[in-house]
Amino acid sequence: MNILTCEKVSKVYGSGGSQVTALKGVDLTVEKGEFVAIVGASGSGKSTLLHILGSVDKPTEGRVIVDGTDLAGLNPTQAAIFRRRKVGLVYQFYNLIPTLTARKNILLPLALDKKKPNPDYFEKVVSALGLVDRLDALPGQLSGGQQQRVAIARSLIYRPALLLADEPTGNLDQKNSREIIDMLKLSNRNLEQTILLITHDEKAALAADRIVTLEDGRIVGDERRR
Amino acid sequence: MWREYSSSYLKNNRSSGVSVMAAAFISALLLSLLCSLFYNMWKYEVERIQLEEGGWQSRIAGEFDEADREAILNFANVREAVLGEDGVALYFDEMGDVLSDTPQIAAALGVSEEEVTYHHELLAMYLVRDPLDPSPRLTFPLFILITALASFSLIMIIHNAFAVSMNGRIRQFGIFSSIGATPRQIRSCLLQEAAALCAAPVLLGDLLGVLASMGILELSNRLAQGVEGRHPAVFGYHPLVFALTLGVTVITVWISAWLPARKLARLTPLEAIRGTGEMKLKRKKNSRILALLFGVEGELAGNALKAQRKALRTATLSLLLSFMAFTLMQCFFTLSGISTRETYFERYQDAWDIMVTVKDTDADSFAQTQEIRDVAGVESAVVYQKAMASRVLAQEELSAEFTANGGFSQAQAAEAMRTEEGWLVSAPLIILDDESFLAYCRQAGAAQSLDGVIILNRIRDVNNPDFRHPQYMSYVEEEDTVNLYASGTGEGETARGAAEGEQETGMGAASSARVSVLGYTQELPLLREEYATENYYELVHFIPVSLWAKIKGPIGGAETDTYIRLLGRDGATLEELNAMQEEIGCLLGPAYVFESENRIQEYETNDEQIQGMMLILGGFCVLLAIIGVSNVFSNTLGFVRQRRREFARYMSVGMTPGELRRMFGIEALAIAGRPILLTLPLAALLTWLMLNASYMEASVFLAEAPYLPVLVFMLAILGSVALAYCLGWRGIRKISLAEVLQDDTML
Repeated sequence: MNILTCEKVSKVYGSGGSQVTALKGVDLTVEKGEFVAIVGASGSGKSTLLHILGSVDKPTEGRVIVDGTDLAGLNPTQAAIFRRRKVGLVYQFYNLIPTLTARKNILLPLALDKKKPNPDYFEKVVSALGLVDRLDALPGQLSGGQQQRVAIARSLIYRPALLLADEPTGNLDQKNSREIIDMLKLSNRNLEQTILLITHDEKAALAADRIVTLEDGRIVGDERRR
Repeated sequence: MWREYSSSYLKNNRSSGVSVMAAAFISALLLSLLCSLFYNMWKYEVERIQLEEGGWQSRIAGEFDEADREAILNFANVREAVLGEDGVALYFDEMGDVLSDTPQIAAALGVSEEEVTYHHELLAMYLVRDPLDPSPRLTFPLFILITALASFSLIMIIHNAFAVSMNGRIRQFGIFSSIGATPRQIRSCLLQEAAALCAAPVLLGDLLGVLASMGILELSNRLAQGVEGRHPAVFGYHPLVFALTLGVTVITVWISAWLPARKLARLTPLEAIRGTGEMKLKRKKNSRILALLFGVEGELAGNALKAQRKALRTATLSLLLSFMAFTLMQCFFTLSGISTRETYFERYQDAWDIMVTVKDTDADSFAQTQEIRDVAGVESAVVYQKAMASRVLAQEELSAEFTANGGFSQAQAAEAMRTEEGWLVSAPLIILDDESFLAYCRQAGAAQSLDGVIILNRIRDVNNPDFRHPQYMSYVEEEDTVNLYASGTGEGETARGAAEGEQETGMGAASSARVSVLGYTQELPLLREEYATENYYELVHFIPVSLWAKIKGPIGGAETDTYIRLLGRDGATLEELNAMQEEIGCLLGPAYVFESENRIQEYETNDEQIQGMMLILGGFCVLLAIIGVSNVFSNTLGFVRQRRREFARYMSVGMTPGELRRMFGIEALAIAGRPILLTLPLAALLTWLMLNASYMEASVFLAEAPYLPVLVFMLAILGSVALAYCLGWRGIRKISLAEVLQDDTML
C-alpha cells in the first residue's frame, strides 16, 4: 500500500533570468512501513522535496498524495493541520519551542488538536527515546542529542503517516548520530513508522531499506537494500 | 563602507526605524518640556523675588550722599547704586563678582564689612552662593536630580527600541565580525545609524517640548488667575536652555543606543551568526491562567510574553501606571467634587450669592448697611462681625442629654477647661446688624428685642464621627441671663467676675458682661458660616450690633473684618451677580478696603481649576500610556525579524494561521488586560476606603462614577495594543515557512 505518491513533481524558484529549477519531474512512491533514505549532493533538491512532502511548500507542477491526501488542494490552514496530523517533521536544528518543556513540546501537536495523549503510547515513545528523566527540562537545558530525541518524539506522537527527517544528524557528534539513526530504525520496526530520511551521511543512509539518489533535481538512483 | 551599508539599510528598511524614531521623539519632547518648564519656573521665581524684595544684589548700610554714589558707580562692574534711608542698594552687571566687589566698595566708602548684606535668595538663583548664607537653596540641585532621574528613566524605557532594531540584524553583524570587523567598528556603525535616525525626531521633540511648556504656562496662568498675590508668568526662553536641552537629549538617546550596541558588538561571530539572542526562558514557567482560559495557544502566548518580559518591561510598567493613575485620579476627583458640592456649594447655595469682606472695619462703625440693601437685585443683606468670648458652664447648666452622652469627658483642655465654677468653654459671638438680628429673632421664635442674645443651643454627638451626617443634641439648660467673659479669661478671673455681680445687659467686672437671653434655638441664621466644626464644645451666641457696641469694651476679641452676606433673587445668573458685585464695589468705593466673592463665579473657578488639574494630570497619564504603547509598537514592528523562527516552528508543528492569530490576540489581550485587571480591583478598594473615610454613600458615588473616561482610556489602551499586534501580525503572516526552513540559521 502506497503511503506516498509523487507524480512528475517540479519546483521552480524565481523568474526570468534568475530562475532556478530545484526539482524536475520527480516520480516517487513509498509504501507504508518503508524506511527510505534520500541522498544527494548539496543543491540536488533533497530539502525542496522534503518541504513539498511536508506541505511546507507547494510544487510548481505535479501531484503529491500522502496517505490519500492530495497536497495541491490544501489551503494554509488545511496544510497546517495536515502537518500536525499526517507528517512528523524532524530538522537538523531540532526546532523545538524554547519556552515549552520537553514534555509539552512532544505533546504540542496533540494539544493543538485539544486531544489527550494515550499514556501508554507516550510512555513507550519517551522510554524508547530515553527521555523519561528529561521531560520537565526546557530545550535550552538539553544537549543536542537530547533535543533531537525530543524532536523525534514530537514527530511520532501523532502516529503520522510519514516521518520526514531532514539531516537529523547533521548537527550531532558520531555517538549521538548513531543513536538517533538507531532510534529511527527502532520506530520503523516497532511502530511500523514510514520514514523518509534526507541525509548526505552515507552511514546513516545505509540504515534505510531503500536509498533514493537525487541529482540536479532528478532521481538518478533507487536502490532497494532489503 | 559603514556609511554605505547603513544608509542603504536605512533606506530599504524604513519601518524598522520607526520605533527608534518614536522613542527618540518622546524622549526629546519630555526632556525639552522639563528644561523649558524649569527655566520658566526659575524666571518666575527671579521675577517674584525682584517684585517682592527688590532686584538689588547687595546693600551697604550707612549714610551716603550723591558723591558716595558717584564713587560707587566708578567701580567697573556696578550698574546702578540707589541711595535709600538705610544705605545704598547695589546692582551689578556681573552677578558672579558681587561677593568680591561689595566688600571692596564698602572699604572704599570707609564702611566696615559688617555693614554689607547680600540678597542671598536672588544671588542663589544665579548660582552665586555666599558661604555665610545658612539657608539651603535647592532649586538647582533639585533640577539636576529631576533631570537625571528623567534621563535615567527614559534610557530604561527607550533602549529596548534600539535593541529590537539592532538585534534584527544580529546575523549580518556576525558576518561582519567573522570577516574581521572589530567590536568598535560594529558599535560605531550602530551608533551612526542611531544618530541618522534620531536627529530629526530629537529636534522636532525639543521644539514641540518648548511649545508644550508654553501651553502649560498659559494654562497655569488661567488656573491661578484668582490666587492672591501671584503675578502672571510670562513665557520666556533662552538659547542656552535650548543648548542644554539638546545636550541632555543627545546624551540620553546616545546612552540608550550605546547599551544594546555594546552588547551586540561583544558577541562572538558564531554567537551572532547563530543568533543566540533569541528569546528564551531561563527557567521553566507556567502560564496557568492563560492556559486554562485559552488552551495551548494561551500557554504559548503566556510563555512568549514571559520570554519577552525584559523587552516589554516598559510597556507593562507604563501601561499599568498610566491606567492606574488615570483611574484613581478620576475616582478621587469625582469623590472630591461630590464632597465639595455637597458640603459647600449645595449647602450654602441659598445662604449667599455675594460675600464682601470689609477690611479693618467694625460692624458697629459700618454705616452703609441700608444703602447696600437698596442696591438693585439685593433681596437680603446681613452685615456681621465675629468675636470670641468665653462662658462658664456649671454642671447644672448642662442639658441632661449632653450629660448622659458623656458631657465633657472627651473634651481637650483647650476645648473645655475645668474650673471651680464649672467648664470654661469658647463662646463665639456672631454680631448681626440690628435688622438682621430682629429677623433672626422671628425665625428662632424668640422675643423681638435688641437687648439680649440668642444662643445656638446644640452640640454635636462626639461619639458619631460621621461629619457628613452629624447628630446634634441640646447643649445647655435655658437660663434668662448669662455671663460672657473675654476670650482668654483664666480660672480665677471668672470666679471674681461672677462674685462682683454684673448688671443685666450692663457691665460687670472688667472682662465680663452679663447679658439677657432672648431665646435658645437650634435654628441657624442664613449665613455662610459653619459653627463648632473644629471645637465641638463651642457655644455660639448671636448678638445685635447695638448691644455689642455696649459690651465690646470688656469683652473685646472681635475679628478685624466685617462681613456682608448678600442674596439676590432665586436662580440669579452670573451676569446679575456680577452687576450686583460691581455696584456694591462702587458703593463701598475708596472709603473701605474690601474683597468680594461671587458664589457662581467661585463655583465656576473651582470647576475650572479642577478641570485644569485633571487636564494636566490626565495629560501625564496619557503621556505615560503613549510611552507604553510605543514600546508595544516597537516590539511588534520588530516581530518579523525577531520572532520569525519562533513562528516558523509553530507552523512546522502544524499550527494553523488561525491558531497563530489567536495566540497573537491572547498576547495583546494579556498586555493590555493586565493593567486593567490589576487596576480595577485596586481602584474599587481605594474608592471604598475613601468613601468610608468621607462618610459618603456608595450609591451617590456610583451615580456619578467616572465610567466613561475610564472606559475610554481602557479602550484606547486595548485598541492601541490591538493595532500594534495587528501590524505585527501583518508582517508575520507573510513569513514563508519554506524560506525560513531553507535558512540554515534556523535553530
